[in-house]
Amino acid sequence: MTYLWQFIFGLVATVGFAILFHVPKRHIFVASLIGGMGWVVFAYCRSDYGGALLGCFLAACVVGFFAGICSRVFKETATVFTIPGIIPLVPGAGMYYTTLYLISGQLEQAATTGTETLLMAGSISVGLLVVSSFFKIHYTLAGKIKNKFRKKREKCDIMEE
Amino acid sequence: MTKQLQKRILIMALLAGELMMKSGAEIYRVEDTITRICKACKIPYVEAFATPTGIFLSLDKGGEDNEMFTFIKRIRGSATDLGKISEINQFSRDFVSTDLSVEDGMARLKQISKRKPYPLGIKLLGAALTCAFFCLMFKGTIQDFVCAFIIGAASYLLSAIFDGFETNYFIKGFCCTAFAAFLALICAASGLGNTSGPTTIGALMLFVPGVAITNAIRDFLAGDMLSGLARTSEAFFIAISLATGAGVVMRLWVLMGGTIL
Repeated sequence: MTYLWQFIFGLVATVGFAILFHVPKRHIFVASLIGGMGWVVFAYCRSDYGGALLGCFLAACVVGFFAGICSRVFKETATVFTIPGIIPLVPGAGMYYTTLYLISGQLEQAATTGTETLLMAGSISVGLLVVSSFFKIHYTLAGKIKNKFRKKREKCDIMEE
Repeated sequence: MTKQLQKRILIMALLAGELMMKSGAEIYRVEDTITRICKACKIPYVEAFATPTGIFLSLDKGGEDNEMFTFIKRIRGSATDLGKISEINQFSRDFVSTDLSVEDGMARLKQISKRKPYPLGIKLLGAALTCAFFCLMFKGTIQDFVCAFIIGAASYLLSAIFDGFETNYFIKGFCCTAFAAFLALICAASGLGNTSGPTTIGALMLFVPGVAITNAIRDFLAGDMLSGLARTSEAFFIAISLATGAGVVMRLWVLMGGTIL
């Protein structure tokens, strides 16, 4: 139930980002659905499964995956869906807590949180990277298979003639 | 005659590239768009090289008498506008698949470049929504939610004012987060909100360099190391400006005898 709320919060926050980044009106809803899903995955991992780093990675994978599919479906650039979807994951909270520890003189805590923040940004990128290379491989393979079939068919046609 | 045509094609391709780059597109997309537009105009030799601060483009028709054209375009300033990117993408697809003349293409590009983003009022609402819901996501209460809603709009308004003066991005980030953190602390101290933390996080999220980070990764992926590095450092400096902005205000608050709730 809490996660349903988290989903709604993530969704509305992504609507805000979509407006700020001027996503075309017809795509705002889909983009915010993707953002909400990414956020829910992150929130679940952060508190119940594996921690924030894994959460960032998995959430970025989810966002990248759905953005890739939607960009195919709507014939739109994937950026339109990725950027609003990924931004809730960018660790603003990590930055805040790092600063808080720094100004209150808890340097050890600050170093720990700061490193975790950097790693979170890194794991977002790794997540996107994994999914987008998966998509690339898929399309290259699909193209090759299509070409092969076409060649075979042409061969058959020639033979029939 | 061919020379003039070639020049017009070059100018149009550069305009398309510049618009995309200014709207925050990835390098490979910009280079790909430019190359496609030129190839569609039957120019066999096209070489485009784009970085976040400039585009280099050279064309050659390939004949014995044809001269080579090279052009450099310096790009200044950028704002994220995904609508423009998607429209230019559509434009380049149309330009390649149908035989649109160069003049018509130029007219359409100019039309796209004039397109305004959402009006300021709606953007303020967007900023307020983002800030308020991030506050809730980081365990803020309903009172914090209301404070964050107003603080988000106020700090975004401040950043819009700074944009009007064409300020340095570092100063902009610093001042906006400092302002937001100050308001959040005041709200918490005066009892309007419970805690300042979630509200400040919400305001930070508005200015966080997410687009720079995502684009940096995509540039690295596509093998554009130079642009990837440029964007990584951009993201890094923006992050530092935000953290110092909030940090300085919080530090001063503590020094002046306040407590951070």
